[in-house]
Amino acid sequence: MTDILQILLIGAVLGGVYALMASGLTLIFGVMKIINLAHPVFIIIGAYISYWLFTLVGLDPILSMPIAMIALFCLGIVVYKLIFEREASSAKYSEMTVLLTFAVALSFDGLLGVLFGNIQRITSPSYAVEAVMLGDLFLPKGQFYAGLISIALIGALVAFLKFTRFGYAIRATTQNREAAQLLGVNVGLVSTITFGIGIGLAGASGALISFIFSFFPARHWEWIALLMSLIVLGGMGRLMGAVVGAFLLAIVSAFVGSYFGSTWSMMTFYLALFLILLVRPQGLFGEKME
Amino acid sequence: MPESTALLEVRDVVAGYGRGPAILNGAGITVEEGRTHCIIGPNGAGKSTLLKVVSGLLPARAGEVVFDGESIAGLRPDEILRRGICFVPQERALFPDMSVRENLRMGGYIITDRADLDRRLDEVLEAFPVLRERGGQRAKSLSGGEQQMLTMGRTLVLRPRIVMLDEPSLGLAPRIVSQVFDIIRLLKDKGITVIIVEQNAVVGLSNADLGCVLDLGRTMFEGPADGILEDPRIRELYLGKRAGAA
Ligand SMILES: Nc1ncnc2c1ncn2[C@@H]1O[C@H](COP(=O)(O)OP(=O)(O)OP(=O)(O)O)[C@@H](O)[C@H]1O
Ligand SMILES: [Mg+2]
Repeated sequence: MTDILQILLIGAVLGGVYALMASGLTLIFGVMKIINLAHPVFIIIGAYISYWLFTLVGLDPILSMPIAMIALFCLGIVVYKLIFEREASSAKYSEMTVLLTFAVALSFDGLLGVLFGNIQRITSPSYAVEAVMLGDLFLPKGQFYAGLISIALIGALVAFLKFTRFGYAIRATTQNREAAQLLGVNVGLVSTITFGIGIGLAGASGALISFIFSFFPARHWEWIALLMSLIVLGGMGRLMGAVVGAFLLAIVSAFVGSYFGSTWSMMTFYLALFLILLVRPQGLFGEKME
Repeated sequence: MPESTALLEVRDVVAGYGRGPAILNGAGITVEEGRTHCIIGPNGAGKSTLLKVVSGLLPARAGEVVFDGESIAGLRPDEILRRGICFVPQERALFPDMSVRENLRMGGYIITDRADLDRRLDEVLEAFPVLRERGGQRAKSLSGGEQQMLTMGRTLVLRPRIVMLDEPSLGLAPRIVSQVFDIIRLLKDKGITVIIVEQNAVVGLSNADLGCVLDLGRTMFEGPADGILEDPRIRELYLGKRAGAA
């Protein structure tokens, strides 16, 4: 029983982290219908920012998280303005944006490789090697902090979407772009800012994973598959869907990992993606696609 | 002085999508304050396109759009909305996963004064008690008739001068269609000028004061709705089949 609770707990904590990693991806897809294959590259950039701030000036990665978030928000806006905005009226929008995000992923991957080399890195604040005990249950402190902060950030994002005027505009544009425009929403501005927020969230999650997963420039290829499986399971573009998908798959993968070995825990996500696309391509919460 | 002057005058509009051919070629409509107007015409005539031009979604290549004595051609959709012209597009104008209340709030998106917006929402909920009852429900869970009620109620948040409805009765059962026209009469009673596009010409015209026949992107006829209903030539060309079927 303790075993099962232990696995559940680890799965749930990682689920929170995955949910934050996926939140920006699903937000951007929702508003702009861009499948941002470069999303995990931005997570890795966020991780490097926190890594270097810790290594060079000793700044705790949790404290540097806002810095990574703001830096990536700005980078997101620049990338959107330079690369994606001009495609907005293109007839081949979906094809073009997928290819472009792929190119962005390759370029940043290459750039990071040149700058920092293909070395595995991990930020190592003291809590990264400590553990918390909750009764009989044991949890690495790093994962515990990362999970809690991720969940808090998602809560803040949900509140922002639900209660602010700009949040209304984002949701409205996601659900019915033309109607939003007819009611006076500047959908171009909403797209730009949402892209920034999405990439900013990637940056924040990068800071948090920098002390729980080791990372190197090319690791994003592994993560895009993981993130795609979460957001497809939850229904593309649905934030709460992605959150539920993240918790479900993280818990399942924790069980798979503990019973069949950790090589299999990653397979959970790939297999899940494959199965969902075959059985229920619209995801758990999505409506049937025409 | 004429009995009622034109509130909106659309003349000789030429418009099309992107670099494509002109879909409208000499389309126009004279809209009189406080009256209900019905635009009829065959599928593909350009009825929806004409409303898109007036609402600023689609720029006109030529022609004029004059509202309240001022040209509004070339203005952005939100600028036209601010002047009091609301456009409800054909099908699915709602935000399906937002609640009824949130949909109404979006109707007043351009109003930044929160207290003012709350007052206006109350006013609309007053006029449509059903919407108050369903306040927390997602728009997609409403029945077809309730969805139309919400769509039309939502336009009221802005206290508009003109409401343009593109086929509000599309896909609704006949009993619900008559409810939709009840709401359109309610808009008229509030002094709002209404323009509707209607597939069922007989139903549309008999609920309107003025009619406008559009075909091949051109305005073929404009005048009192009952006149159009009785004109044998128009009956034959545009009402014939439907009138027989009805
Ligand atoms: N977004 C668009 N891009 C390109 N062509 C379009 C677009 N929308 C409409 N058209 C074309 O413009 C023409 C007129 O369309 P429009 O929707 O205005 O007709 P309508 O009179 O409203 O017809 P219906 O009764 O079927 O609604 C059609 O030939 C249509 O194919
Ligand atoms: Mg139409």
